[in-house]
Amino acid sequence: MSLLSTPYDSGEFFDEMYATGGEVRPHYRLLAERLATLAVPEFERRRAAVDLAFLRRGVTFTVYNDAEGTERIFPFDLIPRIIPAREWSRLEAGLIQRITALNLFLHDLYHGQKIMKDKVVPASHILSAKHFRREFMNFSVPRDIYVHICGTDLIRDRDGSYLVLEDNLRCPSGVSYMIENRSAMRRAFPNLFQSYGVRPVEGYSDELLKALLHIAPDRSDKPSVVLLTPGVHNSAYFEHCFLARQMGIPIVEGRDLVVQDTSVHMRTTSGLLPVDVIYRRIDDDFLDPAVFRSDSMLGVPGLVAAYRAGRVALANSIGTGVADDKVIYAHIPKVIKYYLDQDPILPNVATYLASEPSDLKFILENMAGLVVKSANEAGGYGMLIGPASTKEEVADFRARVAANPRNFIAQDPIMLSRSPTWCENRFEGRHIDLRPYVLCGEKTVVTPGGLTRVALRKGSLVVNSSQGGGSKDTWVIEGAK
Amino acid sequence: MTLPRKKEAPARAPVPRPQANAMLSRVAHSLYWMSRYIERAENIARLLEVNLQFILDFRGYDDVHLKEHWGSILASSGDNELFEEHYGAADSRSVTEFFAFDLRNPNSILACVFAARENARMIRDQISIEMWETVNELYLFLKSRSTTDVWAAGPYEFFQDIKRNSHLFQGLTDSTYSRSEGWEFIQFGKFVERANKTARILDVKYHILLPNATDVGGALDTAQWQAVLRSASALEAYRRFYVREILPWKVAEFLIFSDSFPRSIHFCVAQVDEFLRRILAESGARPRTEAARASRRLLANLQSLSIDEVLRGGLHEFLVETGKTLDRISEEVVQTTMFYPAESTQEDQQLQQQQ
Amino acid sequence: MLISLLHRTTFVYAGTASDSFNEVRLTPVDDANQTCRSFELRIDPAAETREYVDFYANMVHYFDVTAEHSRLVVEAVSEVETRPNASRPPVPAVQPSELEASPERELNAEFLTGSHYVPLDVELWREAQDALGGGRSDVWSDVQRMCRHVYKNFAYKPRSTGVGTRATAALKLRSGVCQDFAHVALGLCRSCGIPARYVSGYFIKAQRQPDEEEASHAWIEAFVPGFGWAAFDPTHDRPADERYIKVASGRDYADIRPVSGTYRGGKTRSLSVEVRVREAEAADRAR
Repeated sequence: MSLLSTPYDSGEFFDEMYATGGEVRPHYRLLAERLATLAVPEFERRRAAVDLAFLRRGVTFTVYNDAEGTERIFPFDLIPRIIPAREWSRLEAGLIQRITALNLFLHDLYHGQKIMKDKVVPASHILSAKHFRREFMNFSVPRDIYVHICGTDLIRDRDGSYLVLEDNLRCPSGVSYMIENRSAMRRAFPNLFQSYGVRPVEGYSDELLKALLHIAPDRSDKPSVVLLTPGVHNSAYFEHCFLARQMGIPIVEGRDLVVQDTSVHMRTTSGLLPVDVIYRRIDDDFLDPAVFRSDSMLGVPGLVAAYRAGRVALANSIGTGVADDKVIYAHIPKVIKYYLDQDPILPNVATYLASEPSDLKFILENMAGLVVKSANEAGGYGMLIGPASTKEEVADFRARVAANPRNFIAQDPIMLSRSPTWCENRFEGRHIDLRPYVLCGEKTVVTPGGLTRVALRKGSLVVNSSQGGGSKDTWVIEGAK
Repeated sequence: MTLPRKKEAPARAPVPRPQANAMLSRVAHSLYWMSRYIERAENIARLLEVNLQFILDFRGYDDVHLKEHWGSILASSGDNELFEEHYGAADSRSVTEFFAFDLRNPNSILACVFAARENARMIRDQISIEMWETVNELYLFLKSRSTTDVWAAGPYEFFQDIKRNSHLFQGLTDSTYSRSEGWEFIQFGKFVERANKTARILDVKYHILLPNATDVGGALDTAQWQAVLRSASALEAYRRFYVREILPWKVAEFLIFSDSFPRSIHFCVAQVDEFLRRILAESGARPRTEAARASRRLLANLQSLSIDEVLRGGLHEFLVETGKTLDRISEEVVQTTMFYPAESTQEDQQLQQQQ
Repeated sequence: MLISLLHRTTFVYAGTASDSFNEVRLTPVDDANQTCRSFELRIDPAAETREYVDFYANMVHYFDVTAEHSRLVVEAVSEVETRPNASRPPVPAVQPSELEASPERELNAEFLTGSHYVPLDVELWREAQDALGGGRSDVWSDVQRMCRHVYKNFAYKPRSTGVGTRATAALKLRSGVCQDFAHVALGLCRSCGIPARYVSGYFIKAQRQPDEEEASHAWIEAFVPGFGWAAFDPTHDRPADERYIKVASGRDYADIRPVSGTYRGGKTRSLSVEVRVREAEAADRAR
């Protein structure tokens, strides 16, 4: 009995592998042919081998909701998501356009604020954004790059069009899974890999290091770069160690750094060594107790002063969170037009803003049929999926929105695309999204593919690792653009 | 077969360490303390085991001697006051409880293994998986036992397990840890701890269990000296080196001056000096730092003094001074290379209300 | 008026302090109503100071003292010339409706929403309704009425509140010092949709007792469309005039803290502030 013996139901959703008639899409044919020759036990064997490899390598994350804060393997599904070359070119162009506009936007917000004065984006939305950092006003940053590492989440709707779901401009994570997933797939399906010609993702760390070196203060020809982590208790600690090791840079905690005379140094057994660039995976709030939260034990006192004096560079910059605020998200198409005089290549999901009186009325009245999100929480928390919620949950959320409208947005539910995923003993469609990673250094580079996250629970739309999500490898086919 | 005499390592030019390989002070600190705590736990286990066995063997012990015996063990660890606070009479069970499982005692086996594990956890990506798993398993093993269990099953097994795990850890470190800077801190910590412990074991017998004139050479005295040797796993090595007779000053000589027995003070200090010089990049003929100076002098004494000279000057004083020197040396190395601020929050500058 | 200022802050620590990183907002502004003729900042132990301009256009000096020290002294000495009252333009009467229509409305959102010390609780709104009694008139008159309301109904009582007291707590206590009076007045103005900001600085007393303690002072500025920011002192029930020297402004005290920062060490044993505001001598004027 081969893998594809059981019939597959793509339902009313856009399916990545199967077109409406049931035929396999052209770019999945090779895969389908291979799967047809595999018997279930053989497939299961490869799956088990991959899972074991992940366990051994410790590819884990920490689940906060879990009472013990245990470490879990991020579930991995063997069926890749495949993107043809031409389709990817468009995505790549759209992502580059978007990050270029976002960097210009951030520069403007922290300098002249022209976009606010020209009333293209309401000033009140910016000023009330949780992550707008007034402390960062008039700061100059190396090369005027604010966002060096960006993870933009894309989804596809019912007719297969790509939409931007949200940007992640502070500490986007998941890159380590992308790289580990690729290793896993190579081991599981070595021949298939070769016949497809998949564009590599392993170059990510090199590109990241290049981008970090690009912003080093000019004074040294061998700049020292470190990765600043909150430590072993952070859910992404595995990724921090992974990236530091791949780039060959030290991984440090706040206590390992000290600022003297506005220069940042690392406490080593050979004494204090200078630090030029910090790839920080700590949120702004905890970065510097002398400027932000004074109870933070994770940060480095005086770091902001050193940054301001131009003695050290940070990636990502401070205050980038204002641009991934979910209310500001709604304005990004206008932002792209304002700075680049272009229409966005990748559209947004249509969004209603609870802070606007007309939208608020609509939202409160139609909450049961909408997806409502809190403007500033990540990881799928603070979200209501109206059609999938009980009356009580809807009523509770309605009260929260009415009490604090600025903090909420709503969107029509999107019929997220699905991909065949191995569920127990057969393939079933599960909803997916895509997080490509964009690096802004001397050039803006988009890693071909990214992390495809899949909502493993039947019917679920929530793809986050902490809430029952898993991932797939993403293949971008080599070829003509 | 005696171990080969350790050769003096040739002086090394200080190697400038490239940025990418610079070791964080915090990491060095954790490696050092992880190593010290494991060594400490093993030494306590050995001490307890030997002395429990001793009491079982020597049925001629009356109450006074028993109390004195356990009192001396407590004195050797310096924790007698703490023991008196929480326990009544010093007997086999209470002392075992205190030294094996009591978390109130920072020098109990459980406390030491707990601390070793905490340090290992913080630098988990620096040590091999096997090293981590060994420490973790030892910790879980200890947590799952209590004095009652140990007593029921027989303490001998228990202490064997501790020692076995410690040896496993050291063996794994030996075979899986690169001979890099981290290695130096691990070895430095281990030998500082070991030298200290050997000095204490010796001091207890000489200082506290001073026999009356009539007891010297008697069965009790000899048995106590045997126990001292056993506490340092040195009985067989001693016998191979000296005649069968266990003579106090020969035991002292062996445990202080032997340059081939791995637990003797001389041997350990030679290692301490070697690793200290690597850590502080002391390659010149003349030491630059206080720590290197003190270490050099201590080693020189251990290489050249005779046991008669030490006994004339007072063995107790010599051992106490040695312990103090080791503490000073290690403290200076910690401050110089392993310093980082403890988890202290920043205080806010007080604000003044506007009137 | 030509005014000379001294503002000395002394921290004495229980034990020692180290890794001290600080920011000070002590530089008098240069604007239509005053010119800062000279400013000098001295730190003891000696430290290099750097400066930047913050979000509210306040001049900020920052410095660090990493070595161990048992006390820290921050001393600011300056000379400011304030514009004579006679030459200051009067504040026009503008209708509240013009606030809605003003081009600055969006950017002034900053000063209309809740902030750390001035959360816009409904109690403040109710108090504002009480203050305005009969109803709204022009913006400036309303501001003055609300400030006067605070002046008349709140007792000036040092030590009844602390540096962390928010407007809502001061409202309940109905007492405080100028910091609290300013916060409450801001709450009232903002509840009525009048953008208002917190101002820190000094004022020169006409009659001063010989040993009277002086301190830095706080008042408010309200936005009047077509005019700009008009200053009023609710603690003394009068507009801020040539006797007032402005140093910094923001949403509330948190944005203008004269001396702030963090350090490593024990708690502060004592904090003392010495302020001296004097009219400069004619001889000084010549300099």
